[in-house]
Amino acid sequence: MTQHSTGGRVHTARPPAAARPRRRRAARALLPAAVFLAPLLLFYGVYYLYAFGFLADMSTKQTSLSFTDVTDVGLANFRLVLTDPAFHTALLNNLLFAAVSIAAALTLGFFLAVALASGVRLRRFFYAVFLLPSLIPLSLFATVFGRMLETDDGAVNAALRAVGLDSLTQDWLGSTGPAYSALFVLLVYLVGLPVMYYTSDLTTLNTSVLESAMIDGAGAGQIYRLILFPMLRNTHKTVILSVLLMSFRAFDVVYFSTDGEPGGRTQITGTYLYNTMLGAGRVGYASAAAVIVLLVALAISAVQILVQRRSAR
Amino acid sequence: MRGPLRALAAASAVLALGLTAACGDSGGVGGAQDAAQETAGPGQTVTLDYWTWFPPEATLKETIGAFEKNNPHIRIRLREFEAADYQKQLPLALNGGESLDIVGVQVAAMTNTVREQLRPVDSWQAELPAGWRDRLNGQMVDQTAGIAEDDTLYSVPMGSIGSAVMYSNAALLTELGIPFPGTAAELRTAVGKIKKAKPGVTPVVFQGDPFWQEEMLFTIAGQTDPKLSDRIAAGQAKWNDPAVVEALKSYKSLFDDGVVDTSVLSLKGSRPAELFNSGKAAFLVDGSWQSSLLSASYRKANKIGLTDVGAGAFPVVRDGGRPAARGLAEGGLAIPKSSQHVAEAAAFIEYMTLGDGVSQWSKDLVLVPALDGFTVDSSVLTTKAAREGYQAVQDVIAADGSARNSNQAFLNQVEGNTILDVLRGQTTPEKAADKLQVEWASGRYTQK
Repeated sequence: MTQHSTGGRVHTARPPAAARPRRRRAARALLPAAVFLAPLLLFYGVYYLYAFGFLADMSTKQTSLSFTDVTDVGLANFRLVLTDPAFHTALLNNLLFAAVSIAAALTLGFFLAVALASGVRLRRFFYAVFLLPSLIPLSLFATVFGRMLETDDGAVNAALRAVGLDSLTQDWLGSTGPAYSALFVLLVYLVGLPVMYYTSDLTTLNTSVLESAMIDGAGAGQIYRLILFPMLRNTHKTVILSVLLMSFRAFDVVYFSTDGEPGGRTQITGTYLYNTMLGAGRVGYASAAAVIVLLVALAISAVQILVQRRSAR
Repeated sequence: MRGPLRALAAASAVLALGLTAACGDSGGVGGAQDAAQETAGPGQTVTLDYWTWFPPEATLKETIGAFEKNNPHIRIRLREFEAADYQKQLPLALNGGESLDIVGVQVAAMTNTVREQLRPVDSWQAELPAGWRDRLNGQMVDQTAGIAEDDTLYSVPMGSIGSAVMYSNAALLTELGIPFPGTAAELRTAVGKIKKAKPGVTPVVFQGDPFWQEEMLFTIAGQTDPKLSDRIAAGQAKWNDPAVVEALKSYKSLFDDGVVDTSVLSLKGSRPAELFNSGKAAFLVDGSWQSSLLSASYRKANKIGLTDVGAGAFPVVRDGGRPAARGLAEGGLAIPKSSQHVAEAAAFIEYMTLGDGVSQWSKDLVLVPALDGFTVDSSVLTTKAAREGYQAVQDVIAADGSARNSNQAFLNQVEGNTILDVLRGQTTPEKAADKLQVEWASGRYTQK
């Protein structure tokens, strides 16, 4: 279809007559799919649009869960959230934990996937070891982990003492550094999902490239770094996006392990929202915080898509 | 082709209208009205829907069974929740138009989130026996009414709870010749003896969760300034007043003097009670809701191996202080506007607050019943330590302390964490008090 201007008015040229039946046929072919998908899409749209609309509306109100005592407060909730140091900490922690998860996925996850795919002994056992945390409920996994961090009776300190490393025992939940370290370990241990992504894509690779490299005398490190890593470029993008967005939903990981301790310094936006919601008259404030988090997540996704498009060109 | 599209559009419209209608059917925001009453005919049975989080289900079923036996025309359909979950589920259900007849209300935490959906007690008190108020503890009734933003009584209190109090492994103390400590100095002596004689036993345990730190702080503050918590909540005192700073210093002194180790702060949720119940801790500092531990039959039923448990007020930390605890009416029973069986619901509430039901549920010792002059069955408390301990807990709750009424968001987001920072030496009491005041006045935490 082309456009041309005549005397300041824009006309859209009609498609050639031969193209019209083709388009009609294409439209006809799409119709059954649209009919089958429409109810679900409609329900999805209404459900989410209503929820987002309700959230946005409540963010300008002060009210409790009964929604009976609604007071309009304008943008005051947004101002209060944006000036709350605890919210800043939570947001930064989201990004920090996302960065740690991505780094772990692109290094350890990639290495493990390739190593396991190369046919090491006890491969199934190792798959189970690395995939198990991603397959069981995170709340359960994090609760057990949190219990392991107890200072006197926790398994972590007990194990350190058992091997004579008493000096490394920590008050894991009472000091900022150890608490972050504990969460990093937990996030790194959740590397199972990236391992699955890499493993599935490794099966589709053209092995002749690897064979050629080996014939040319490439070492294992070179194959990993110069051949396999670039060849899985699209998988890296999928992994980054999924891990990044997953970090915004890591409520259960933090809540059931450190619960934001010490002093709320390991809190993320999910735990911030949960704690903010408790008590009377808190729905509006929590909604404003949720809207801001949503906008940040959308902005990150948009940047991600733009970067992907640019690199695709 | 147009046919399917039209059908699709029509289906979409029906679905959208259906969703809209469903929202509208709930009554929408603030749409709750008193439901019309249904009259049961002769021989007909009325089923009442009862939601609550307390007492424990086994106790409640036994109590309900006894009620139904004496009231054969009434059946109770019980749904019980976990306490924190219930705070969210009930307001949403009532606002969504759920038809309930009796609801348990956590007086401090829930009254203002559900009051718009409840019938004021005045509107149905004609169904209760004359003079019912006089048979209940007046302070508890006043607290229940006073907690509501409009100072109206929406629920009839079952009893009260208080914190912090201290439970002891009485058998262990007897073995080591340690009396129940009344002061921090006595507690320090006891801790020294326990550490020496039983190195595998943690002398004192309590929850390290942020919310619990307020209980500890105001228990200690209340020993010299019983109404400090009330005055702060009412805006009559500031968080950085000298009394708060002194309370923070006194609380921290327990750690500095070796009475409590900071490792205790890593114990969360039910872990301190688990350690105490298994004999791995000598003293458990908790709320009066742990008084079930004083009952030998409860311990046996729950496979708790302790042979004797005592209790008392938390030791006095500061010179010139007196035992203190914050207390509040708890476990209010209310009738929602959506109930169509007010008379029958009132009969059940009367049974649970003024009638024979009290002796049924109070055996668990979780609440101190609001019914005036009520005494616990002598078969429940079988040892001297248990009897004296329960009396001491009742006495300290009944003393004229502050109400146990927290600003939940402030407590979970700021206050608890700030107190923990003081205990761990990560900030000073003065700086912590200033931070608390700045946040309290920030506008982020609405106050009644």
